[in-house]
Amino acid sequence: MTTRVPFREGLFEKVSGQWTLVGCRCKQCGQIFFPVREWCLNCSSGDLERVNLGRNGKLYSFTIVHMPSEHFEPPYAVGWIELAEGIRIFSQIRGWQEHPLGIGMDMEIAVEKLWDEDEKEIIGYTFRPYVVKQRGVKQ
Amino acid sequence: MREVAIVGVGSTVFGKFPEKALDELGGEAARAALKDGGVEPRDIQFGYCSNLYGGMVIGQAVLRDVGITDTEITNIENACAGGATAFRKGWWDVASGLYDIGIVVGVESMTTSPIAGKLIPPAKGDISGELGMNMVARFALCQRRYMDVFGVSLKQIAKVSVKNHHNGCLNPYSQYKRELTIEEIINSRPICEPITLLQCCPATDGAAAVILTSLDVAKKYTNSPIVIAASVLKSGDYTYRWQDAAFSDMTYKCANEAYEMAGLGPEDVNVCELHDAFAVTELQHYVELGFCERGEEVRLIEEGITAIDGKLPVNASGGLLSKGHPISASGVAQIAELVWQLRGEAGQRQVANAKVGLAHVAGGEVTELESGAVAVHILKR
Repeated sequence: MTTRVPFREGLFEKVSGQWTLVGCRCKQCGQIFFPVREWCLNCSSGDLERVNLGRNGKLYSFTIVHMPSEHFEPPYAVGWIELAEGIRIFSQIRGWQEHPLGIGMDMEIAVEKLWDEDEKEIIGYTFRPYVVKQRGVKQ
Repeated sequence: MREVAIVGVGSTVFGKFPEKALDELGGEAARAALKDGGVEPRDIQFGYCSNLYGGMVIGQAVLRDVGITDTEITNIENACAGGATAFRKGWWDVASGLYDIGIVVGVESMTTSPIAGKLIPPAKGDISGELGMNMVARFALCQRRYMDVFGVSLKQIAKVSVKNHHNGCLNPYSQYKRELTIEEIINSRPICEPITLLQCCPATDGAAAVILTSLDVAKKYTNSPIVIAASVLKSGDYTYRWQDAAFSDMTYKCANEAYEMAGLGPEDVNVCELHDAFAVTELQHYVELGFCERGEEVRLIEEGITAIDGKLPVNASGGLLSKGHPISASGVAQIAELVWQLRGEAGQRQVANAKVGLAHVAGGEVTELESGAVAVHILKR
């Protein structure tokens, strides 16, 4: 079986069977950070708590890339996702061929293969258009 | 703090010269600047050299070839703002009284760099870079947002590229000397949607150089020194403080500080070289540099206000879009162009009676920051 390895440690985890991003919140000023920080980059307080960020966000902007990058063959989609916590994060976007993208669209996190490396499968977070499941239809 | 003047400038022609080494390109620009200023290499007391992709001590190799050794030479990297950063450090070395005269060189060979033919990625290990970010994608994200929120069309954005490519036809230093049409630009191949090839600056090799002196020393060399009225360099702030990615907070803040330092306002600027790495950025920078209010930027291009014969000519050189973008050389090349414009030596692309010029560069992609660095310089005669 292929070993699945996160592209970087500590960015995401499974909570009650569902993937979420791991961030932190400053207990002094309330600022949210992703990834986790040693101290608050806003007010320098050391009083931070780990938080699991929401699984959903809105598509702030996106682009379809038509040239290769180190790990991805074109065409691939990337975008900025605005999370309910008020921060924007950069992510690969999947499922864009089935569901045309638009600014403001609801998105949902997934964790899936990003690329292969030697014998390993490198995994990471992606966002996909959030499709409301129809009643009685298993998706 | 002493007043600092520019007494000599020089540049190579910009283009694709894979056969030319960095010391060759840089040396050509440095010799041109020394000749232009009537400055002997042995008079030079310090040197700065900006370069991103070349490797170690490029400045020493460049200046060795023009007869400048056994002195203080510093190499600088600050992405697309590297040239402007080197220029600012040279300015400060003279303004502070440390030295009286020095040289600043910016040099890049993109065709022989490790990223030749590729989209420029962030530094190794950057999270966004691992996930497929590159410089074009970054600006495509801003452009998509800008078009969507402010209702600006691709046709309107393409007009910037049409203007700058027209200007490039008039500039002997320009990489491209070809007029483009809106249709050609929009229909060129997509790079990162909605950015197409001809909305992007090209990969370029080239170098530019500038000689700085105190204003007193400048009188030894020239009757028409160009004075540095403002120099500001800023790093990017966290993206969680960047409210609206359709515009750059960094450029806005940097320009405001520069105007304050110069005791001038945007209404005083007669000629401007700004960072048109992508056509859309020129429109956004009109707003951030204070040339107009939000929503008026398209009018500036459509009414010809920023054309060479307009009220506020922008990128008369052809800008990065047509003249080309040898990353670490561009900031120095902008200064050279403004000096030629302020002296009235810009030939066919000369703007009328310019007294104050503004140079702006920005660049560098790093996760969680708006961008790496931005610099604004204001020159006056």
